[in-house]
Amino acid sequence: MNENVIEAENVVKYFDGRCVLDGINLKVPRGCIYGLLGRNASGKTTIIRILLGLEPPTRGQTFLLGAESDNLSAKVHSRIGYVAEGHNLIQNYTVGRLIKLCKDLSPHWNDKFFEHLTETFRLPMDRRIGQLSIGMRAQLNLSLALAIDPELLILDDPTLGLDTVARRQFLELAIDLIGQQGRTILFSSHILSDVERIADRIGILAGGKLVVDCALEELKNRVKKFRLIFPESAPENLYLTEIINQEIEGREIAITVANWNQQKQAMLGTFQPSSCTELPMGLEDIFIECTKPDVAPLAHL
Amino acid sequence: MFTLIKREIEDHIAYFLGGVVLSSIVIVLSIWAAYNYKDEPPVYSIGLSIPVIVILLIGFPAMGASQMYTDRNRKISAFLSALPVTRGRILIARIITGILAILTVLAPLTITAMVLWHLLVPPVPIIYPCPIFDMFVTALLMAFACYCLGLLTGWASSKVTPTLAGLALTFVLIPLIAVKGFGLHTTVILVLFIIASLIRIRQKFMSTAL
Repeated sequence: MNENVIEAENVVKYFDGRCVLDGINLKVPRGCIYGLLGRNASGKTTIIRILLGLEPPTRGQTFLLGAESDNLSAKVHSRIGYVAEGHNLIQNYTVGRLIKLCKDLSPHWNDKFFEHLTETFRLPMDRRIGQLSIGMRAQLNLSLALAIDPELLILDDPTLGLDTVARRQFLELAIDLIGQQGRTILFSSHILSDVERIADRIGILAGGKLVVDCALEELKNRVKKFRLIFPESAPENLYLTEIINQEIEGREIAITVANWNQQKQAMLGTFQPSSCTELPMGLEDIFIECTKPDVAPLAHL
Repeated sequence: MFTLIKREIEDHIAYFLGGVVLSSIVIVLSIWAAYNYKDEPPVYSIGLSIPVIVILLIGFPAMGASQMYTDRNRKISAFLSALPVTRGRILIARIITGILAILTVLAPLTITAMVLWHLLVPPVPIIYPCPIFDMFVTALLMAFACYCLGLLTGWASSKVTPTLAGLALTFVLIPLIAVKGFGLHTTVILVLFIIASLIRIRQKFMSTAL
């Protein structure tokens, strides 16, 4: 059995002459909870849609559960749960009719679990989808994706539109699902605290490239930010490899470096700063540093 | 597949009901005319064929276009494709639904015509044994060709080319039927046109972003 549930090989996508994805290589192993991050229009939804075969790539190949994305069989689809950004459900259907349609089409429909979800979310069966609030649509979409007992769950900004309580319920559900062995989750979100809470691997898309692709803990260990104060003015030619970002102000330099190690520490010492303080960095800080528009090209972490 | 066909029928039930109503009206009028205007068959035949032609030339392309346009507009295939369904199956279910709609209109009309033919037309020498069957096949193929054009029009972002193709088909087919009658020539042309349309629809539907 293929160990990588999701694979993307050199995926390039152009929209009207604009490069949205520029040679994306991605491998998500079985059982991984992969958080895909990026600013608006960074290509998160596009890569997800390409993976699902909803959008053809300009170049490159993608695979889900070992099958080529543009040729996914119904059998492979039955092992994948998907929550689309904006929750594109059939607007003129009632909730009950949509559920029946999904149930009739899905060979592994888990009635008991679905009933539990609909009771948790209090979904009104007789209302039309178009009349539901965004939050309710998100809950319905999520319930439909989870009810097929998916081996792979792809969530494109699933908590968009959910209130705090519903978001917490969703996270708990996701954590429950993670508890079941062999489940793989790929999800994109703008709420980094959610990602930080459940993801064990992170990918950051910026400028059409996957600038970060590593385990969350590893990312936190490898990206460091320091505040350096120099006796006189700060040197402008502070040379260090893999600088993600640096801001100079008078005697101070705030510098963010990837792949921090002892050699880099020694190199920094040669510039003889009067003080060097490590600034704590959460996922949000790392994300902001990595997606700054004027950030230096970053090697894969 | 059955679920997908059922969904298509439920979503486009108006076309089925409209077809049933129109074919019922035509059947009632045919029976009434057959018994009241026995001596003037060409007049009532021509009069009654008008609604059938209207159904063929307007109704079925409209149904095809509506199926595809609604899908595109409401992102139905995008939603269905995330379920255990392939695009190919969605398209096949759609086409089967179109054929069922055509049969809903044409089958009762054909049966009625055959019954009336046997009841009212005096026995003729076997020169042309089964005109009703030929008419049925031609009408079925013509309706399906129009339906295919509707599918193309509904899915295309530009509506001009498929509409012009539809008009061209109409202008070619009607004189062709008038000159050649219902028969092999017309059938071959229609079959070729249908194959070409289906290949194009499949290629467009399978390759477009949903």
